[in-house]
Amino acid sequence: MDFKAKLVETIRSRKFLYASAAVAFVAILPLFVRSEYIVGNVLTLMIIFALYASSWNLLAYSGQGSLGHAAFLGIGGFASALLATKLGLPPIIGLFVGGLFSAGIGFLIGLACVRLKAWFLAMVTFGFSVIVVTIISQFDTFFGGMIGFQTPTLFPQPQAFPFYYATLAIVAVSIGAIFWVMKSKLGLAFKAIRENELEARMIGINTGKYKLLAFVISTFFAGLAGGLYAQSILFIQVSIFEPYYSFLPLIMAVIGGLGTIEGPIIGSVIIVSIDSFLPLADKFLQPLSPLFPGVSNVGPPLRLVGLGLFLILVVIFLPKGITSLLQKAYGYLRPYLSKVYDYFREDTSKVKKIEGK
Amino acid sequence: MRKYVKLIEMITPAGLAETLLWGVANGCIYILLATGLNLIFGVMKLVNFAHGQLLMVGAFVAYEVTTIAGLNPYLSIFVAMGSVAFIGILLEKFAFRRVRGTEKLNEIFISLGLIYVFQNVATLFWEKNYNIRIPSPLGGLSLSLGEISIGYDRILAMVIVSIILIGLVLLTKKTKFGLAMRATSQKSDAAMLMGININRVYIYTFAIGAALAGAAGALYGILFPFNPAIGALPTIKGFAIIIIGGLGSIPGAVIGGLLYGIAENMAVYLLGGIWQDAIAFALLIIVLVIRPTGIFGQKGE
Repeated sequence: MDFKAKLVETIRSRKFLYASAAVAFVAILPLFVRSEYIVGNVLTLMIIFALYASSWNLLAYSGQGSLGHAAFLGIGGFASALLATKLGLPPIIGLFVGGLFSAGIGFLIGLACVRLKAWFLAMVTFGFSVIVVTIISQFDTFFGGMIGFQTPTLFPQPQAFPFYYATLAIVAVSIGAIFWVMKSKLGLAFKAIRENELEARMIGINTGKYKLLAFVISTFFAGLAGGLYAQSILFIQVSIFEPYYSFLPLIMAVIGGLGTIEGPIIGSVIIVSIDSFLPLADKFLQPLSPLFPGVSNVGPPLRLVGLGLFLILVVIFLPKGITSLLQKAYGYLRPYLSKVYDYFREDTSKVKKIEGK
Repeated sequence: MRKYVKLIEMITPAGLAETLLWGVANGCIYILLATGLNLIFGVMKLVNFAHGQLLMVGAFVAYEVTTIAGLNPYLSIFVAMGSVAFIGILLEKFAFRRVRGTEKLNEIFISLGLIYVFQNVATLFWEKNYNIRIPSPLGGLSLSLGEISIGYDRILAMVIVSIILIGLVLLTKKTKFGLAMRATSQKSDAAMLMGININRVYIYTFAIGAALAGAAGALYGILFPFNPAIGALPTIKGFAIIIIGGLGSIPGAVIGGLLYGIAENMAVYLLGGIWQDAIAFALLIIVLVIRPTGIFGQKGE
């Protein structure tokens, strides 16, 4: 089958329809929200973290659970920001060069990691993120130190709406690429390695090569997400390497559904919403504060306790994440949805036939 | 660069010897933590990333017991061990047992959730006591040998750690329960067929590992200032030590812990405080690149 036929088939497939419906939905969302603050600080972050969590998820798809992905987020962010400020490169090029830079470092770390078992790998990646923080803090005149520095943005003036659409376009293409990788022969190899590395090697898969490839692809997208993140919050500082940012994609992917394409996206929507909207509910927690004398604001710690419990409960009772719930719902809705789908499909084929005549 | 030249000029043999000794003392705390982790990993094949949080809880329990009940800080170690062991039993029973036998990553996810829970519950109760230390009657007193001096607290910590380790070795080698533990660690299915109650072995193993973390926490609180956020790094360091020392062996954990403590203190002495964590992790990565199974680890598995 040649490339063109494959492309046509992809475009006419059911998944592509759903994906484009999802992108269209995200694209018109700001028209209803209208608030510049929410679009810039909530929706944009959701999209960026969806890419970041997807990149982590791809690595986990090949059986490698990283605990130091923040290192690559930060490297991408710092590289793209520095390229723009020190060399004066246009931010859009800096973004991708930052991603490539992150992938290059990911390649080197991946070389060390491919031979390691799950928890060893987790340790090395975590350790690597600590090392990066130390090195960057050492050269604080160049990297801006604890305070960080301002990052140039894609558009001359930081505007929420254009940046939102630019981010959406980049992320949609990137997640599409990740999906393509996961469904291609490459993804099949990743899956085989995850299930049983020894058997994968027996059937002729060069496990080292494929694991390294997963590392490079994943760190490229993590770096890209880092560049976007630095631009969306307008500055970058060393705190981007904190373990919190390493655990974030993991929590998102697990809550959403590990190893699925929609899982990290759903997880990102949930976690960013919790982070952004739950502080508004802090005032309802204030009656609890006499219980904990000496704590100025009981909101943030209580919220994080809730997040931890939520993660544990999801792992115990819903091991496939929230996606599995949605899949159940989809199972019920499927007959109705396919009617709609068939209607569209028949319609287009009729149009084609008429055109053909 | 000039900064480092200055630092190198300050190095003296006595300073090096003192750093070595202090490194051994710090290593003792890591040994306790790593042994607990190693025990849990060896018997249950469980990766508990929240182990450092148990250390933090142990430190706060010891602090409360010392300041409120007025107990001697060195006796409070036992209280910390007991209460953290109880927490460990609850964790095993209600969280880790539920995901046993499912995918390996699930345990890591559960322990990450536990990190959030422990750290923030501790923040709620103890935020007001930021960077405190357990008041020790020996605090500030130190033994000096020529130019080298070391606090009595550190010497006592080394003695206590040695006693606990000897007790642990006796438990695993000489008692019937130790035999059951070793059998389970080799092959849990076969152990079950021999009439060993695996669930009970698991729960006691986790409790012992947690108790070691509690003891480490009390000692940590005597030697260093602590706060609700200290747990994260010790866990990772504990794992680093296990990896350096090889999985499942207590002597390996002891050697690994000492090496690690010394390397860390040397990094602080030679390069400055900011390098403390990075050098140790660099060491770990180098070890893993050269020998993916750790220095003393066996081939296979």
